[in-house]
Amino acid sequence: MAGMSPSERRLQKELMSLMKEPPPGVSVDVDLAEQNLLQWIVHMEGVTGTLYEGESFQLQFKFTNKYPFDSPEVTFIGNNIPVHPHVYSNGHICLSILTDDWSPALSVQSVCLSIVSMLSSCKEKKRPSDNAFYVKTCSKNPKKTKWWYHDDSV
Amino acid sequence: MKVIIKNWTGVATWKWIANDDNCGICRMPFDGCCPDCKLPGDDCPLVWGECSHCFHMHCIMKWLQSQQVNQQCPMCRQEWKFNNK
Repeated sequence: MAGMSPSERRLQKELMSLMKEPPPGVSVDVDLAEQNLLQWIVHMEGVTGTLYEGESFQLQFKFTNKYPFDSPEVTFIGNNIPVHPHVYSNGHICLSILTDDWSPALSVQSVCLSIVSMLSSCKEKKRPSDNAFYVKTCSKNPKKTKWWYHDDSV
Repeated sequence: MKVIIKNWTGVATWKWIANDDNCGICRMPFDGCCPDCKLPGDDCPLVWGECSHCFHMHCIMKWLQSQQVNQQCPMCRQEWKFNNK
């Protein structure tokens, strides 16, 4: 741990605990994360009995050296972006804990759990109603979006 | 037999009495110090909120300073107030 910044030390601990006790259907690309602790790829399986059963997704986590005081930048990447009312087709996720409601007591593990539960509680696969406009006009970084959180049902 | 003690050296151990082992912000042990400090003890103390949650003082101060509006406990999101009792 010597020579690591405070953010990297915390991320190293999180990586170890995510390897040992991952939430169901979640696995982290350990080799990639160990090369650069500030950028992780997490694989996520759709939960059995939900609309996403049998699908698999990839999440990208980007951290700054202000982590955990600054929230991670979390987006879906790859060729299967879940079709969900809070997930834009460019992979951006409308989830309050990723911006306004972030707390340094949260972690990669708790963010993964929130996303798993957000997907699992979905009743109808559809894109957000403003998807086309948002995807055309948004910043590359979802943290620069002024999200308007209004729907707690999914 | 009678023993006369001429001198002695006292040894003591200490630990913080907290309701958890690790700081919820930096995840380092309370009996260690925050990641910005080198030595545990009085220079890197623990502080408690009125909500009863406890953190390294340096960790909670960094968090509160990064929050412009609502200063909340990272664990329970209640308004953060130092417990001065």
